[in-house]
Amino acid sequence: MLRRTFFDAFCFAFLLCAGVVAVFVSAEEQLLNLIQDLVVVLVALAVGAGISLLFKKFKIRTLGSVLFDLPTSEQGHPWYRSFWGWQLIVLLVVSFAVALAKTEFSFVELLDQNGFAGAVRLFKGLFNPNWEVLPRAVLNIIETIFMAFLATSIAIPFAFVLSFFCAKNIMRGTVGYMVYLILRTILNVTRSIEALIWAIIFSVWVGIGPFAGMLALMIHSVASLAKQYSEMVESVEEGPIEAIESTGANKLQTIWYAIVPQVVLPYISFTVYRWDINVRMATVIGLVGGGGIGTMLIQYQGQAMWREVGCIIVVIAVVVWALDLASAHIREALK
Amino acid sequence: MSTPFLSVKNLSKTYPNGVQALRGVSFDVNPGEFLVVIGLSGSGKSTLMRCLNRLQDPTAGEIFFEGHDIGKLKSGEEIRALRRKMGMIFQHFNLIPRQSVLKNVLMGKLGQKKTAASIFGLFTDTEKSEALSNLKLVGIADKASLRADSLSGGQKQRVAIARALTQKPALLLADEPVASLDPATCHVVMDYLKKVNQELGITVIANLHFLSLVRKYATRVIALKDGEIVFTGKPEEITQEWFQKIYGEGTQDVAPDVL
Ligand SMILES: Nc1ncnc2c1ncn2[C@@H]1O[C@H](COP(=O)(O)OP(=O)(O)OP(=O)(O)O)[C@@H](O)[C@H]1O
Ligand SMILES: [Mg+2]
Repeated sequence: MLRRTFFDAFCFAFLLCAGVVAVFVSAEEQLLNLIQDLVVVLVALAVGAGISLLFKKFKIRTLGSVLFDLPTSEQGHPWYRSFWGWQLIVLLVVSFAVALAKTEFSFVELLDQNGFAGAVRLFKGLFNPNWEVLPRAVLNIIETIFMAFLATSIAIPFAFVLSFFCAKNIMRGTVGYMVYLILRTILNVTRSIEALIWAIIFSVWVGIGPFAGMLALMIHSVASLAKQYSEMVESVEEGPIEAIESTGANKLQTIWYAIVPQVVLPYISFTVYRWDINVRMATVIGLVGGGGIGTMLIQYQGQAMWREVGCIIVVIAVVVWALDLASAHIREALK
Repeated sequence: MSTPFLSVKNLSKTYPNGVQALRGVSFDVNPGEFLVVIGLSGSGKSTLMRCLNRLQDPTAGEIFFEGHDIGKLKSGEEIRALRRKMGMIFQHFNLIPRQSVLKNVLMGKLGQKKTAASIFGLFTDTEKSEALSNLKLVGIADKASLRADSLSGGQKQRVAIARALTQKPALLLADEPVASLDPATCHVVMDYLKKVNQELGITVIANLHFLSLVRKYATRVIALKDGEIVFTGKPEEITQEWFQKIYGEGTQDVAPDVL
């Protein structure tokens, strides 16, 4: 009920706000007054909630009620004759329109003569790589691969230990549940900060270079792996746990003998995949100064040396493709 | 008469969700008995077993075992010491997959081992030969090095029996040990339980569903209905009438009497 009202209020408020902006706002500066915006949005939300309750009163099924309420027994109309169907369409169309406006989408620029010529120059360079920088590129991508490898390896033990403290079926009792909640929250926050942002933080802390990149990847990997690992722990079979407990084993022995054997294979599989992801992320992180191939790429890109960039991109593509293939095969074999 | 081996007095269990699984259950178990508990699904048989080895905490009542009220044990240390003396066997075997049969049997020793030694898998030769001789007892010593998940259901349950025996228990709790086995295998496993009971003198409490099995293996029977004991006696005293009272009108024993 609450979710449904909130969802519908949000939908209607969005439509209202879009309408208000379209009618009254001609320059972006008008939107920079936060208080005024907030008032408008809150008023729109209130109106939206009102509309939603009104629909509820007249028993009209809105999108929110279709999503969140129990399915009704009444035989529904086809979707295009129902209110919620049109609500969905209007929402999508308006969102699309707002998105077009916001991204300054323009066919004119896409087909602009000068710009197009520039792109052609770029592609010519890319498709005609300068192989002279190949040795440097290979050296740099090796740095990237090992940066990712180190980040993953250091993350494993931390994530392994954390995963048990983040599993609901292990952290029973009040104290256990508190620890579980706190750790989960910390990990979620850590994970929601992109590795790219961590890289910026660490490049200030330890200086620009592969070390900062590695630390960023490691932090992100610990949080991601711990989450994936702990989900595995939570989906483990109860039976073996009870069996081991009933031999008089303590908690640690139970985890080691009843849970760990059930989760090692998925753990390894996740870890290989994480390494694969980390190599790709390490490339991106290099762009902000995390070292490795990404840093090299951004240097040549800054000087518009497209033939050299072409060579680097080929190297990256080959390595990512090979790793992707390898990790897919390893994970398949582990099933 | 001497004090019974195990004495349950007015045992009640109410689950946190409000289900009253046991209501004032009282019975005694003598050493060396093969006590069978029967009753409909949901009558509280598993709950009773789990209260005995404290996988569940009883809500009220007493359980006397070796002179202590084990229903009141609080510390994890004491509860683990109790569990060491009671082996448990489950309907779904609950072996550890991807581990060898021998390793599974050795796990019966976990309760007696120091944590560090067990984490590093340091089992002594004495422990290993003990595990092997228990495997021999249930007739599958030749499977010791196979993976536990490669065995058939009946073999798995025999491994589970060997694991329980490795604890050197005084009491064996078997919660529907043959419910997921075919009729022929069922008797094989039950025969091993009987052997354990008679040759090693280990007291057995087992949940069973089929009257024919009850008659063949039990030395005494108690029947639960809605968490209360409705029958106690010798297996041959359960007539068709009693059976219908316990399992509800219109039931017939679907047990494979032919075997
Ligand atoms: N962990 C639990 N939490 C809440 N209720 C439970 C729990 N375990 C069992 N119950 C309930 O307690 C009652 C007795 O269950 P129990 O498993 O002891 O029955 P049972 O005789 O072993 O049945 P079955 O033959 O199906 O194994 C049932 O109503 C069941 O729903
Ligand atoms: Mg049961």
